Amino acid sequence: MRINVNNLTFAYSQRPVLKKLNFKLESGDFLSVVGKNGTGKSTLIKCLLKIVTVPNNTIYFDDIDINKLKKFFNVGYVPQKLDFAYEFPITVCELLSCAYLKRKDAHFTSIINGLDLNPIYHQNINNLSGGQLQRVFIARALLNYPKILILDEPTVSIDAESITALFNILKILHSQKVTIILSTHDMEFANNLTDYYLVLNEKGEYKNLTKEEFCNVSEYI
Amino acid sequence: MFLNIFREIIEFDTLRYAFIAAFVIGIISPLIGSVVVIRRLSNIADTLSHFSLAGVVIGVFISKIIPLSFNPILMGIAFSIGGTFLVEKIRNFYKNYKELSMAIIISLGVALTGLFISITEGISTSFTTSLLFGSIMSVGKFDVILILFFAATIFVFIGFYYKQVITLCFDETYARISGINVKALQLLITIILALAISIFIELVGVLLISALLIVPVASSILISRSFKGSIIISLVFSEFSILLGFATSHYLSLPLGSTIAIINMIVLFIIFFIVKINTIKFKKEKKEKKEKKENKNKASKPD
Repeated sequence: MRINVNNLTFAYSQRPVLKKLNFKLESGDFLSVVGKNGTGKSTLIKCLLKIVTVPNNTIYFDDIDINKLKKFFNVGYVPQKLDFAYEFPITVCELLSCAYLKRKDAHFTSIINGLDLNPIYHQNINNLSGGQLQRVFIARALLNYPKILILDEPTVSIDAESITALFNILKILHSQKVTIILSTHDMEFANNLTDYYLVLNEKGEYKNLTKEEFCNVSEYI
Repeated sequence: MFLNIFREIIEFDTLRYAFIAAFVIGIISPLIGSVVVIRRLSNIADTLSHFSLAGVVIGVFISKIIPLSFNPILMGIAFSIGGTFLVEKIRNFYKNYKELSMAIIISLGVALTGLFISITEGISTSFTTSLLFGSIMSVGKFDVILILFFAATIFVFIGFYYKQVITLCFDETYARISGINVKALQLLITIILALAISIFIELVGVLLISALLIVPVASSILISRSFKGSIIISLVFSEFSILLGFATSHYLSLPLGSTIAIINMIVLFIIFFIVKINTIKFKKEKKEKKEKKENKNKASKPD
């Protein structure tokens, strides 16, 4: 799926966070959004997912303005801080079965097996570690055949083993032409996967860089 | 006691209607209550019940001045649904104090109730008490049909939208991006909640609706490990409190709503106690394990 962000400006009350942001992604592109805390990485993701209201004609999915999209389709999202109803018990099995709007099939089972969720399949989600929870949410994001996958700081608070597992999954998805947007602080993780960088700063300014340009210009890191 | 009450249920229409209403409400209240708790709408249940009360009283007022007989509960239902929209509208005026909208609607509901009780001729104290604390014995054939129809609607709704409702309740953002029509589903949930509140008023009264909807769920989530488990446990608690409350209130001439609420509370406090004991036990075991490990390490270290 193609994504076109065209002159996107976004402000919280009077504080501008994104100023006339532009970038284009073709199907299968991998974009890493980097920048210090408070530079608008999460805000950009909120805009892309329409969690906040964005102006018309600023974000297009496959040439359709997201404000004109009646429903989102084929978008997978792995949140940073899981916006999730904690305390109420629900097992991994229940969460994923409900998120998969079809009956369980081979695709469902392959994701469960691929992410090694069988040992925790019947556990209460509130008793899982950060890494286990992350894997569950990656599985959920992959269930409905995403053409766009958006990940917000997925390597924060997970162990090295889970980071490697995530790295391998993203590599496979990238090879399957899924468009991926990754917001991260983890440059090592991003650099081994990404095609393009979007660098944001505190003034709401931005730079679009290729992987090579980014590696050569240390001032952005 | 229970055999006698069953005999009486078969024998007397009033008791039979009351029993059917209580039993069905015992099934549907934890289903609705679970959604309310997960969506953090516990306060809105109270808000709507107070606003719905105003609707019932205004319904009585209208029925006194217009020579048409209609059930004031219908007006309560209209107010309950209207209240949900008012809460949403008022919420938009405050960015950081969104809960203010509920306090405003409660105040409006109570004020309207007080006003219309005072200007409506012939409203008895027993009528207002029954609105506040419920009066199951006033349940008639029409109410039973209404409750059964409502329960059937909920089961059909759950049958069709189970996965969507659970996904929406636990994670609204994910629900939206996975193609679920969140606005429409939210509207349906709100309407069901509003209807439930208006219908439950007759059974337990305005002040105890939360006890019926929320407390069995609050008890079950402390001891269950899965969503299905929590629904089953809350159903058991709900039916236990309603059936025991029904029998107790009937024989001891106690108000049903209060009896059910107190039984629910007793169950909740027993669970608090069990959870506390388990936590202490768990901490003790953990400490003992840690000490054992430390002692082992000390013993294995060479001097």
